[in-house]
Amino acid sequence: MKRRDFIKTTVGAGVGCGFIPMQSLFAQQAAGMTMYDKIWEAHEISYLGGVTSVLHVDRMMLPDIGPAAIKRLLDAGETIRNPELVWAVADHQVSTSPERYTNRSLNLGSVADDFPEMKEQLASMGIQVFGIDDPEQGIQHVVGPETGLTLPGMLMVAGDSHTCTHGAVGCVSWGGETAQNVLLTGTVIRERARNLRVNYTGTLGPWVRGKDMILHTIGTLGADAGNRCAVEYAGPLVRSLSVEGRMTICNLSIEMGAATGMVAPDDTTYEYVASREFAPRGELWDQALAYWRSLPTDDAAAFYRDETIDMTDVEPQVTWGISPEHVIGISERIPAPDDAPFEKRDAWRRALEYTKLTPGDTIADTPIDEVFIGSCAESRISDLRAAAEVVRGRRVAPNVLAWVIAGSQPVKRQAEAEGLDRIFRDAGFDWREPGCSKCYGSNGDLVAQGKRSVSNSNRNYVGRQGIDAITHLVSTPMAAAAAIAGRIVDVRRLMAGEIV
Amino acid sequence: MAEEPAALGSGPQFIRQEGIAAPLMMDNVDTDIISPIGKPPNPGATPETRAFEPIRFFADGREKPDFILNQEGFRRASIILAGKNFGTGSSRSVAVSRPLAGGINVVIAESFGPLFYDNSVRQGLLAVPLEGDKIKRIAEWTFANRGQTILVDLRRQVIEVPGLDTFAFRVEPRVREKLLGGFTVREELSRLDEEIHVFAQSYRQSWPWIYQK
Repeated sequence: MKRRDFIKTTVGAGVGCGFIPMQSLFAQQAAGMTMYDKIWEAHEISYLGGVTSVLHVDRMMLPDIGPAAIKRLLDAGETIRNPELVWAVADHQVSTSPERYTNRSLNLGSVADDFPEMKEQLASMGIQVFGIDDPEQGIQHVVGPETGLTLPGMLMVAGDSHTCTHGAVGCVSWGGETAQNVLLTGTVIRERARNLRVNYTGTLGPWVRGKDMILHTIGTLGADAGNRCAVEYAGPLVRSLSVEGRMTICNLSIEMGAATGMVAPDDTTYEYVASREFAPRGELWDQALAYWRSLPTDDAAAFYRDETIDMTDVEPQVTWGISPEHVIGISERIPAPDDAPFEKRDAWRRALEYTKLTPGDTIADTPIDEVFIGSCAESRISDLRAAAEVVRGRRVAPNVLAWVIAGSQPVKRQAEAEGLDRIFRDAGFDWREPGCSKCYGSNGDLVAQGKRSVSNSNRNYVGRQGIDAITHLVSTPMAAAAAIAGRIVDVRRLMAGEIV
Repeated sequence: MAEEPAALGSGPQFIRQEGIAAPLMMDNVDTDIISPIGKPPNPGATPETRAFEPIRFFADGREKPDFILNQEGFRRASIILAGKNFGTGSSRSVAVSRPLAGGINVVIAESFGPLFYDNSVRQGLLAVPLEGDKIKRIAEWTFANRGQTILVDLRRQVIEVPGLDTFAFRVEPRVREKLLGGFTVREELSRLDEEIHVFAQSYRQSWPWIYQK
């Protein structure tokens, strides 16, 4: 039985459910539907009571170990359901060293070496696999939209938590699914989230971008604001962003505690999608486009929670603690625990102890050891262009180890065609191969023990980038500026020549 | 516990847990705190003490005395009491399997990170959502009654704290059914096999462009 039928038959009898009163769901539907609800219902196979349903999966994205997982199932005589909806890419376990192609042992496990032998078998099943030798390889959340494997209206699932990034093209996407369950059933069991809308208003100041929008949002609403919610980012500022900028915002939905994040598709989306390798063509494109145009949230749809974030006067953001909600503008001072809401005082104290910062000091001018530019948050071509604009003609500060990692091979090739790699290398950055790297500190790509890192990634958790490593999350141009100055600085002042 | 029925499925089963509750009364306990990955294990850690490594041990392997599970009366805790957004962060399965390996099979919190929550359902750790003031009352009780146990009963959906109160909680009907029966996700879905198949067939005809990759 579908949930809608269930509501029809039971809501009058006053049957409640776990977390969302049925009647409020029903009221929302009568008035109009959100994009999340439309996509949810288009994929709903069976309703299991409460807010739980079985959903059909349009794309299963596998990580490095995906091919090995498929092999195990096939060897056990199992059948993969809907194999043509599955794809895999090596990202978490690959080295980002330029030597990884010749010295294969740099890559963790046997991942990279598994691909060639299995590729043909998988291709015959309709499963694309991008290993380190493939021209499409990269971080899965860069590769999906870039290749058109992610399309509007889809239900896209994967293991990795930042799968919510894909919502920027107008689909519903989440991580945390196990490969085996999805491969064998073609479905997932999920609890339906509540609808949270974040409307962005105002204007973006110079050098303020998508990353600052989402960090400021998490700082304002809290790292648990998205709890049991699907977040739709809306408003004129989101409309004005490129799809890549929208991806940065959706990427940090999981840092807001949300089940997923998304932006309704519009002409910007369709233009972005149209040229992609795996996008539909001809008649199928027309059919898809007609469907996509029906996806945006109806005007009359009600949200469980509707928030407005005014970006006017919001500065480039920097985190000072160990949660993305510990964030301030670059010209602000490090807050004191006593200034915190009562229930957050202990957390702030622990955070400051870990990050070794003193309340009352400016966050600007904090000396740093390492800079990381990469990750599924911001490693697309527009991000690298923004970083290069800051770096051009400047030098990385002595004693700062600075890396740039393009999100994918196509991004890397494009950057090299534009000469961006030269700008980074000339300045003293390491220009490395696509992969997840120091964002989560694996494959030996670690921030050195106890060192302070400025990173354009998405998590500043304790020990995330390395043992006792301190992470300051910023936008890509802010990370570039920190590398040049050797300390946390305001990119606007650096570009204005006020900081040398 | 000897009276409990055998699992119907081949997955992890959870019926009830009687044990010591340890208050870890912080918000946003993230998955990098619960289970770091990509880094060498802490030199002080054993397979049972790998959960919460960064707050359990100093880098040299010494125990951090302020960590609750390092304190007398809480070392054998099987239930964690926490604040908001417990398990925020990544989808790593070790965020659940390491606490389980250390004997922790219940977390009572105000809210949970979505991916930790999914993992807990899959692996048979019971994630109990409860109001903050109730969790605080239980936490205060545990300090006043060190070493005494509480009961978390999934069948009746209650937490019994001796001499304090009985707290009702609600989990999704599907979660309760899965854990009480000890079903795997695949076993849960097997009875829907025909429905899934029929849906997939008609879906493919309706949305051919999705299959044109």
